[in-house]
Amino acid sequence: MRPLAGVIAVSLLCFSQVFAIPPRPEAIEFQPLEYTPPRAADFRRMLSDGTIVYVAESHEFPLVNVSITFKGGGSLDPAATPGLASVMARMVREGGAGDMSPAMFDETLDFLATEMSVSAGNTFTTARMNSLSGNLDESLQLFVTMLRKPAFEKQRLEVVKARLLESLKQRNDNASSILAREWKAMLYGRNHFEASQPTASSVEAISREQLEAIHRQIIHPGNMIVAVSGDFAVEEMLEKLTEAFQGWERGAVAPDPKMPEAVLVPGLYHVQKEIPQGKVVLGKRGIVRDDPDAIPLLLLNEILGAGGFTSRLMQKVRSNEGLAYSVRSILSQRINYPGAFQATFESKNPTVALATKIVLGEIALIRQQPVTDEEIEVAKQGLIETFPRQFESKPTTLQVFVNDEWTNRPKDYWQTFREKVRSVTKDDLLRVAKKHLDPSQMAILVVGDWEAIASGDLEGRATMKEFFGGEVKHLPLRDPLTLEPLPLD
Amino acid sequence: MRLQVFFRLVVLVVIFGFADMVSAQKVSVEEFTLPNGMQFLLVPRTDQPNVVSAGWVARVGSVNERPGITGISHFFEHMMFKGTNTIGTRNPDKDRTFRVEQKKVRDQMNQLVLSEQYERYRNGEIDDPWDSVNDTPRLKSLRTKLDTLIRAQQGRGKAGPATATIVKDEFDQVYTKAGGSGMNAFTSYDLTCYFITVPSNKLELWAWMESDRLNDSVFREFYSERDVVHEERRLRTDSTPTGRFQEQFNSMFWASCGYAWPVIGWPSDLNSYTFEQAQVYWNTYYRPGNLFGVVVGDFDPKQAKRYIKQYFSRLDPGSNKLPPVVTLEVEQLAEQRMNAIGDFPPTIEIRYHTVPAGHVDSYPLDMLAEVLNERTGRLYTTMVEGRGIAATASASSDTRKYAGLFSFDGMTRGDAVPEQLEQAWYEELAKLQTEDLSERELRKVKNRVAASNYRRLENNMSLLIQLAFSEALLDWEEINEGPAKYEAVTADDIKRVANKYFKETNRSVAIYRRSMEQVTAKEAGK
Repeated sequence: MRPLAGVIAVSLLCFSQVFAIPPRPEAIEFQPLEYTPPRAADFRRMLSDGTIVYVAESHEFPLVNVSITFKGGGSLDPAATPGLASVMARMVREGGAGDMSPAMFDETLDFLATEMSVSAGNTFTTARMNSLSGNLDESLQLFVTMLRKPAFEKQRLEVVKARLLESLKQRNDNASSILAREWKAMLYGRNHFEASQPTASSVEAISREQLEAIHRQIIHPGNMIVAVSGDFAVEEMLEKLTEAFQGWERGAVAPDPKMPEAVLVPGLYHVQKEIPQGKVVLGKRGIVRDDPDAIPLLLLNEILGAGGFTSRLMQKVRSNEGLAYSVRSILSQRINYPGAFQATFESKNPTVALATKIVLGEIALIRQQPVTDEEIEVAKQGLIETFPRQFESKPTTLQVFVNDEWTNRPKDYWQTFREKVRSVTKDDLLRVAKKHLDPSQMAILVVGDWEAIASGDLEGRATMKEFFGGEVKHLPLRDPLTLEPLPLD
Repeated sequence: MRLQVFFRLVVLVVIFGFADMVSAQKVSVEEFTLPNGMQFLLVPRTDQPNVVSAGWVARVGSVNERPGITGISHFFEHMMFKGTNTIGTRNPDKDRTFRVEQKKVRDQMNQLVLSEQYERYRNGEIDDPWDSVNDTPRLKSLRTKLDTLIRAQQGRGKAGPATATIVKDEFDQVYTKAGGSGMNAFTSYDLTCYFITVPSNKLELWAWMESDRLNDSVFREFYSERDVVHEERRLRTDSTPTGRFQEQFNSMFWASCGYAWPVIGWPSDLNSYTFEQAQVYWNTYYRPGNLFGVVVGDFDPKQAKRYIKQYFSRLDPGSNKLPPVVTLEVEQLAEQRMNAIGDFPPTIEIRYHTVPAGHVDSYPLDMLAEVLNERTGRLYTTMVEGRGIAATASASSDTRKYAGLFSFDGMTRGDAVPEQLEQAWYEELAKLQTEDLSERELRKVKNRVAASNYRRLENNMSLLIQLAFSEALLDWEEINEGPAKYEAVTADDIKRVANKYFKETNRSVAIYRRSMEQVTAKEAGK
């Protein structure tokens, strides 16, 4: 066989050198791509008032990006008012600034074609501005005025509340939102900010005083890190920022988010919703971001269910059996408390049980047998080769550094990341799989039509009885406005 | 006082700024065409170092389909990831045998379904001729046979892994290992686009992989992949609150043209595609003369051209003539209305037939939508804030290759009903039809449009997608020429199109109401 193949290759070469195509992609030789990740210190500056600024010039477009990250978000909501930080963030943007009415402020920004946004996440609040470099001075002045002196105008607050109320009403419309809401409540407890939700009355009760109080706590220079990139000269930009922040009172840094107290109770759970497709999530609490097992788990998760079509779950559930369109596993890490490991998928009612069985089977298998050489190689290469994309643009690079500084990530983390990935072995993966993916600690949550789901597929390959001894806990749907449990049928 | 001075200053800066910007905004594209007809657009740029976003477009979408094969363009998108005689198998001959045998069985099944089962369906014996619960014994045994063949091909049959000829999802594996990311594809009404981002040193791999699948796709898993597409349909359409209603509204809106069926296809058609139909489609629309590639990012254009010539020249131009899209949308003669009840908030959508992309009126229509949108736009100021009857309200102009539409969408607030939004919309329209836009309002909207045309060029992948749409619908040059056309729109133009298209007989109205069963006790008690 070999000589013959050789002859063919040679003759092809003779006839048309230009068209010589390697027989397989592995035969292509690639030039090495040297890549050194950027270092935070090269971009980090401090203003005279002590504010940290990450700054990078980039002149391809006459645009300037400013992003300010404040510590705290939903984590600072008072117990009685979930969503307060988020309403505050919206109102900073929408409620007028200084002595400008909301309409005047919006009109001015629109005319300048400057974009601004403020949003509160769970643990951080971010304010962003993108302006044409020609309009930078006006835009920056407006941006800082908005952050320092939001007007929280009454009528706009009514509009924001009304929109929020309308969205509350839609809480049970989509099965996926029910799934996400109940799963968070199971993982972290309904009262922790990861899972807590506003009700109609808590929204209605939000007052201007509350907005001002949480604004004072979050939005000030003592609690922020700035990132600026785009079309400007660095020193000039630092001067502009110093001037813009002048006289802005520095408060104390916001406190760390509180730990969730709830513990996930393993079992099979269900919420009723009559749709032709059941939605499933299964999993358990996971690890903190800086856990020593984080990198092996990252690789394991790629192989199991995060690596797209290459992952086992996708191949088994979608590609082989055609049971789902999307199926994946997710390793969500948190800084101060463990995040979650979970698998999610959806399947037509009769095959929900079969898909669940296959997913659990894959989790069991990856804890029993080492992954193959090919699998670990693909996963490692994938992480290493895509590594530079973390830093693909100036704004994303700076945002990485800002997050790292806020969360005290080890300084050499990115410099040593690829080496740490390379050194992971198959044994490491087996060890972390055994340690962190114990199915007996997991819960399964299904949103869908139980009658059509429970009995399983026509061929009798699986029924829901196979999980947790067939014992299912039916969770109530909740009133969309009050979140009070509705009676189970 | 201070504000006013500030304001005037701003106006000056902005007007100068934009005039400059509009003329300066040029994406420099290197365009060339291979002898086999495949065209390429290259945009080298270094702002995002070390990576290249690369893709190619087939100028085909659901508009090119017909009843019986609806959704086949999208199904092709799935097939394109299933490999060739090189990728996806280590035993191409034996794998081919499996495919031929599967085809034989499935053809027999289709024949039975389309005759016996369709007849039983027409008699009222069964409610779905394709559903396996209604299988006759013969059909059932064929289905088992097909399943056995599929399992054996995958190495999951009784004989175990030894019979496997498939290397599962190898296409994805090769790219993953090489640092490819964001590999995906989408199918729309007018085009199908396949794209990925790779490290700069892997552009040759892209050329290898993409030219291989264009040259030699074998439609592996042609029958089993349908279940995945059915799940995709269930996920996107059947299990979402408004999915099937929107599909129905869409089919009501378009009377005759090829936008009347959904991109994902009707369920019956999804089951019925034959291998022969797929091959005709492939040999017609996936020939180099109907394709173009787009490469954006950090690469050496000379080297890229060499790879492209080396690899894509192997594509056979084929001999099938491209069938023109013939059927035009007929004129709508009377208002159409749809009343939907389900698990969704009270909302309204009003649609009007307009014009295809590139039509002279498409620019004022786009600007008209901008006048209405955003927080300073007319819909927000009158409906959301002013009267407080809407939680959200927006307008959009959607111009496709062969026809276009303009739509208004609004969600009610509090106790308001969709009919109030409908009235408010007609009042807004009347203003646009009779009053001139102020110079300032027009200027503001133009500023915003110019800036957003600009911002979307910042990111490699976003630029790739813009070029894909521009070239597939019109010409890639539109990306450079479009901004001046928007800049040239006048208040008269906007008034003219407002009068021309927004007539009662040209509109279709969908009203969505929440099903009373879902209303909570508290609301019902009100």
